[in-house]
Formats: sequence, C-alpha cells, structure tokens
Amino acid sequence: MGKNVLLADDDQLLASLLNFRLKKGGYTVHHSVNGKEVKEYLENTMPDIIVSDIMMPYFSGIELIDYVRNELKSNTPIIIISSAGNEQNVLTAFELGANDFITKPVSPTELLVRIAREINK
Amino acid sequence: MLIPPNQIKISIITAPEFNLEYLWWLTILFFVLSVIYFVGVFIIRNKITLNNSRTKDKKVEFSPMINEFLFYEDSNTKEEKMNYLNLKVQIRELIKNNFDRDVLTEVLLDLRKDLSGQSQFVLIELYKDLGLHHDAYKKLGSRKWQVVSSGILELTTMEVDESYGLIIKFINHRQSTIRKQAEIAVVNLKEEGIKYYLDNTKFKIAEWQQLKLLDVLRHKPNYSPPQFGLWLTSTNTHVVLFSLRLIKYYSQNDAEQSIITLLKHKNRDIQAEAIECIKDFHFSNALMTLKLVYSKASHDIKIAILDAIGELGTKAEASFLENLQLTERNFNIKSKVIGTLNKIDPERVLPTKNISTADFYDVEFDDAMQEEEHSIIDNHEGIILHDDIIDVSTEIDNETIATETKKEMSDIFKEDTTYNETEEVMNEEFVNEEKTEFDAELQQNDVKKINSIEDIDLSFLPHIKDEEALEEKPEETEAVDDNDQDQESEEELTFNFLPFVIEEDVFEEVTTSYNDEDFRPLFELDDELLGEVPEETSINPIDNTSTKMAHVFDWSTLDSENEEQNKVVIDTADLAEPLISFENDNLCFAANFMPQEELDAMVMLENISELGDCRELILLYQIIEKNSSEVVIERANELIQKFSYQSPRPNELFSEDNNLAESVFTDIYNLADYETKLMLIGEIKKVGDEKEIDLLESVIQSESKKLVKKATEALEYIKSQLLILDDKTKSTSDEDFILNVGFELESNNSIKYKGTVSNENGSTLFDQLCSMSNSLYRKKDG
Repeated sequence: MGKNVLLADDDQLLASLLNFRLKKGGYTVHHSVNGKEVKEYLENTMPDIIVSDIMMPYFSGIELIDYVRNELKSNTPIIIISSAGNEQNVLTAFELGANDFITKPVSPTELLVRIAREINK
Repeated sequence: MLIPPNQIKISIITAPEFNLEYLWWLTILFFVLSVIYFVGVFIIRNKITLNNSRTKDKKVEFSPMINEFLFYEDSNTKEEKMNYLNLKVQIRELIKNNFDRDVLTEVLLDLRKDLSGQSQFVLIELYKDLGLHHDAYKKLGSRKWQVVSSGILELTTMEVDESYGLIIKFINHRQSTIRKQAEIAVVNLKEEGIKYYLDNTKFKIAEWQQLKLLDVLRHKPNYSPPQFGLWLTSTNTHVVLFSLRLIKYYSQNDAEQSIITLLKHKNRDIQAEAIECIKDFHFSNALMTLKLVYSKASHDIKIAILDAIGELGTKAEASFLENLQLTERNFNIKSKVIGTLNKIDPERVLPTKNISTADFYDVEFDDAMQEEEHSIIDNHEGIILHDDIIDVSTEIDNETIATETKKEMSDIFKEDTTYNETEEVMNEEFVNEEKTEFDAELQQNDVKKINSIEDIDLSFLPHIKDEEALEEKPEETEAVDDNDQDQESEEELTFNFLPFVIEEDVFEEVTTSYNDEDFRPLFELDDELLGEVPEETSINPIDNTSTKMAHVFDWSTLDSENEEQNKVVIDTADLAEPLISFENDNLCFAANFMPQEELDAMVMLENISELGDCRELILLYQIIEKNSSEVVIERANELIQKFSYQSPRPNELFSEDNNLAESVFTDIYNLADYETKLMLIGEIKKVGDEKEIDLLESVIQSESKKLVKKATEALEYIKSQLLILDDKTKSTSDEDFILNVGFELESNNSIKYKGTVSNENGSTLFDQLCSMSNSLYRKKDG
C-alpha cells in the first residue's frame, strides 16, 4: 500500500493526469475538486502529503494550509501548485507553513520527485 | 342653456380614427415574436449546455487515453502495451468525428499549457501523430480573421514547424490580430524567424508586442541570437528601436558606430534607447556626439544624455557642463547638470542654497584668529609673524599676498610639528578669506602704515585688467566678443565722472613715495582696447578751446620724486579739474560731473526706462536728434530697442493712419473685458479730450451696439466740449496769452522735444510725469 496523497485541484484534466502519474508512481491518490471536499476529507483522514492548487473554489490553497496547520495542528507536508507570476501567494503559503511549491506548467515527473522528497524527510 | 364663454372648450388636436382590429393584429404579432425570441434563446442555450456537457464527457473519455499515451514507457508490461495499441486504434476511430477531433484538440491544447518537460514533448508528438494540425492548416484559409488567428495560435502552441512557410505570409496582414499572432508564430517556430520578421515587417511593433517577442526569444532553448546591429539601418523605425532593445538585452556591443549615429535620429525613443546602449556598453567615443545632439534634444533626452555623460565622462566634460549650468533654464535639467558635474568631479559644485555668507561668521572668525596667533607667539620664539605679513603686504596683488603669506606661514609652521593644528586652521582661513578681510586683518595686526596706493581700497573703481591677468586667462578674453569689448572699453573710459570716495584715516596715511611699478599693473589698459578708443573732442569750459581728449592715462609722466609732477597726469590738459592729484603729500580726488543738459537727458531717459512704453518712441528719437552726447544717444537707442519689442508694434502704432497711441486709454481698452470697456468709455467721456477721438471712432467702427452707442455719446460730448474750449481759448488768448499753457490740447504735430529741461508740454501721460520729475530734480539741484 503506497503513501496517501490528497490532490486538490479544480482543473479536471490536469488533476486526472497527475492522478494517473501518481498512481503509476505507487501512491494512493484522493482527488478533490474544491475546498469543501478537501475539508470534508481532512476531517476524517489525514493523508501523508497534500498537493494543492492555490486557486480553488470555496476554499483556496492558502486557507487550506492555514486550516491544516492552525486548526488541525498537523505537520503533514503540503506542496502548492501555483501559476507563474503568483509569487505573493507563494510567499504567503510559505509563511503559513507550506513545504514546497511548483509552478505551472507542471512536469509530472518533477512533482513526483518533490512528493517523494517531502514524504521521506 | 347658454354656456358661458369661459367654459367653452375647443379641441386643438383631433386624433385620427383608428381601426381596433389592426391593434389586435399588432398585439398578436408582438406576442408571437416574443415567443419566438424566448424559444430561440431557450433552444440555443440548451444546445450550448448540451454541447458543453458532451464536451465535458468527451474530455473525461479522452483523458485516460491521453494519460496512457503520455506516460507510456517501453518498459511497460505486455498487457499495458496491448492496452496502448488498443487505445491508439480507438482514438483514431474517435477522431473521425469532427466534434471528437475538436474536443481532442481542445484537450491537448489545454494540457499543453499545464504541462512541461517530457510530458509536453509527448503531447505535441501525439497532436502531430493524430494529424490534428491539418485542421489548423484549414483554419488558415478561412475568411474569418478569428478563425485564422486561432489556427496560427494552435500551430504555434503545438510547435508545428512545418507551418512556418504558411504563417510568414501573414506577417504583413492588414488585420492586426492575425499579424501579431503571425509575428509571434514566426519568431517562435524557427530560429531564423526573427531575421525574417525584422527584414520584412512594414508595420509598427507595439511595445507590448516587443515584450511578447522578447519573451518568446528568451524562452527558446539553446537560442543563439543573430547580430541585431544589422537591422539598425532598417527604414522601419520600430525595427530599429526593437533591434536596439535586443542589442541591449543580448549585450551585443559590436555596433558602436551605428549606435552612436542613432543619437542623431529624429525619433526620440530611438535616441533614448541608443543612449541607454551607449551607457550600458560604455561607448566613450560617443561623448562628442552626445554633446553635439544635446542642444537640439528634448528634455527627457537631455536628462538621458547628462546621465550618460555622468557615466562615461571625465573632467574634460566639466567645461561643457558648466556652460550648461549657466544657460539651462529648466529646473530638472539644471539639477541634473549639477549632479553630473559632481559625478564626474566630486564636490565640484557645492551647496549654495540657504548658506550663510562669510560676514555672518566674521566675529567668530576674528576671535579665533586672534586666539590662534597669540598661542603661536607664546609657543614659538623667534617667529615674527607680523613682520612677515607686513613685508608681504607691499606686494601688488592682495591675492598673491594671501597665497605667499600662506606659504611662508606654512613653511614656518612646518618647523614645529606641534603646530599642525594651527597650520590647518590658518590654511583654511587664508584660502577662504576675501581680500577685504585680509586688509582688515592687516590693520588689526600691523602698525598703521600704508606704504603704497594699493593699500587704499579702490574696489569701487571700474575694473581694469592688467596684461598679466589677461595672459593668464586667454580663454576668457577670447570668449568676450567684440561688442563686449566695446562696452568694456566704454566702461573703462567713462568712469571719470564718478566721484572718488576715500576714508579720511586712510587718506591721511598716504605717503609720497611712489614708483612706476606701483602704478603700472593697476591702471594699465589692454592695448587692443586702447586701440579702439575714439578720440573725443571736448570744449574746455575755461578757455573755450576745443581739444582732442584721448582716454589714455600716460603713466610714464608719474614721478614720485618730483613733487610738481606728483600728480596723476591723464593727458587731459584741458580738463577743468584733474581726476586725481597730489597736493602737499595728499592724494586729492576731484569729481568730474556731466554737463547739466546731458545729465537732464539721462535723468529723463532713466525715467522713461522705468515708466515708459512704446509710446515714448517718438520722444526717444527726438532726444537722439537733439543730443550729441554719446552716452545719451546710446541709452536712448537701448530704450528704443527695448520698447520696439512691446505690443502693439511701434510701426503699426505710429504709422500715419494710426493715432490710437495718443490716448492713454488705448492699451487698457484693448486688454479690457466688456464691462470694463463700458466703464472706460464712461471715463473717457468725463476726462477725455481730442486725443481720445481716434480711439472712440475705432470703437464705433468695430464694437458691439452698446459700446458703439456709448462711444458715440462720449465722442459727441468730447467734440462739443472741445468746441466750447476752442472758443474760450480764442477769447482768452486775445486778452491774456500768458495764461495759455497749451497743456492738454496741443496737437501731436506740435509736440516737439524741447530739451529735457522744458518738457512740460509732452503729448503723453509719461511726458507729464517726466516734467514733474525734472522739476523736482532741478529744485533739488538748486
């Protein structure tokens, strides 16, 4: 049984592709398309790593980090996916406790490496 | 029943009869149209929703297939390979349908934006492998610009290099969206695309487009840029500008001369970009051209040039900048000039604003000096400081004295290392001190002796340069043009009317021991200037003989040993009073006043200068005619020149047809608004005379009805008053012509300049003011 990865991204195509790649890389992936689903999932289960897009409906990636770090008091590694030129959000994410970030366009292989690194820390 | 008349209602508008049946038909028609509209909206909306839903489903259907394709590896198991082949067959079947093809293309384009690395490469290959780029080719042939544009975008995104030949045709397309899309595609698809584009584009390249093109080039892997200097000769100024920016970005410094030449380009953006390049590449050869183009450059370019000079320049540019400091009027540029000066030569220009003058610190300075000197005398035996200073004080030039004394003192102080601090203080003080301060110091410290005429403060006298000074500053002498030289010589030669003022105590101390050497440098005139001095004939008031007066001081006649000759002989034997003389070992100065008439004329001219305007031109011409004094004529000419530039132009104003200038109201009237004009006409009516007739007539001819009416009234009134006054004048002139002053009613033709003394009958308001001034002056003069 591989490590659990929570993939939060509203872009179905990209999420599907990353999901496919992560599964192929041996991870168990749970995909959520919006913040609500993420929150519901996290209330019940804490994954080994969270990969989240910054821009999501209902519950942004920044809010997600805040929720995990301050409300759930969890140290689960969080990797943020952001668009290029969104540096301010990335900085905020790091301030709130994000572990890593990756900018779009995403290289699935690179993401896999980063996930592995964060889990193995 | 009889209806009262006020209750009878007459219908003014009668409505036409309308067939109600038409109204019903119209209502039905509108209702049907509304239904059709809403049904149409509903159908189209549903169709779009259905289409979106289908597309979404198809995307979900295609997504795993694409994932399989993207992450297929040769190391996969046999089953996976079989699955891959089945998917390939399946997807080929699917894309036979146009809708499916479009959806698949859309999916691949979306993923292309989100993916990078190997996945992206595979995705592009899949796009080409499935032959989806042929659909994009078809789009290029469309008549709709948006379809063509989307086709170019698709081919660019999927990096279909084969489409390069098709897209370059759109480089100069009239539709800007297609053109811009094609520009990016051409630059993106092939490395030589930028060359083709810069060679062929005929259109403007917008700033945003330049950024996008630069971004494309920047992200091209392993890109080796061409020498963009080749396009600096392009006839398209936008290409030149873009090339300059690319040159700067890629640091291509092999086009130095071309870039320097572009400083002279008419386009400001190109100039500015060329300056930036010059600055970045440190092209110091451009300094001459930078200075050359400066004068004709705009403010922004001037600042950029100054910035570049600051970066590249050396102290050799200081003179250029100092000239600019004097000539530039714009605050920003002037500040930049000073900044640049200080940049190339730090602290060349010191702060001047809100800095207290040296006088402010006089007290503190003197105290400090005295304390310092006391400490020197106390601590250093054998040094007679004052004697040294006194010896030096006999030197001619006080500045030289200061320098030499400073040197001597420095030498003395160097003997004792304990006086280092004192030396510093003294050095600073001597450098900064002015001549007068130095004299004052001498008087304080020295015995009250003045050994030569140089000890008398003659700074109030006009400045006369000695030969040495002229030799020392050849540049300054050359810079002075002929006119300035003339002026200077005149200044030098006409100072003798100034009274000499000298302090009594200094006067008493003058001794009789004079040498030729004492006088020569101070009074020697420049030979060139002397050569230009015209000889002047003057009348001796004593014997009324006419003699030629050369404005040359014959200093050779000065002999200190001979008391009889102990006078400053000015080769003006006919002068009533010599300018300087020595009597009983005393230096005597005599004032040489102007002739009274000349003085009056000068006073008159100064009054005109202060109060007059272009209406005084006639008077000024008359003064020139009447006076022979060069000073007066010169001053009058200056004023004529000054007033000639005033509006209205004197030629128009004083033409035979224009008598408006006679009226003092003309100027005010011309500048006034409507209400003020009305008031002015009222005033003219009250106080006006025949001089206002022309003005009123001009008003009647040109102005509005109300003004015309009022002007007519005023004119009639003035004329009637004039008739009455004429009658009275005739009658009184017969009886008592002594009372006839002819003050206001004298016609213009009769105005003649009667000398400055008798100018009471002037034609203008100013004449009257002048006459008052003259009378006051005469009263004061006794």
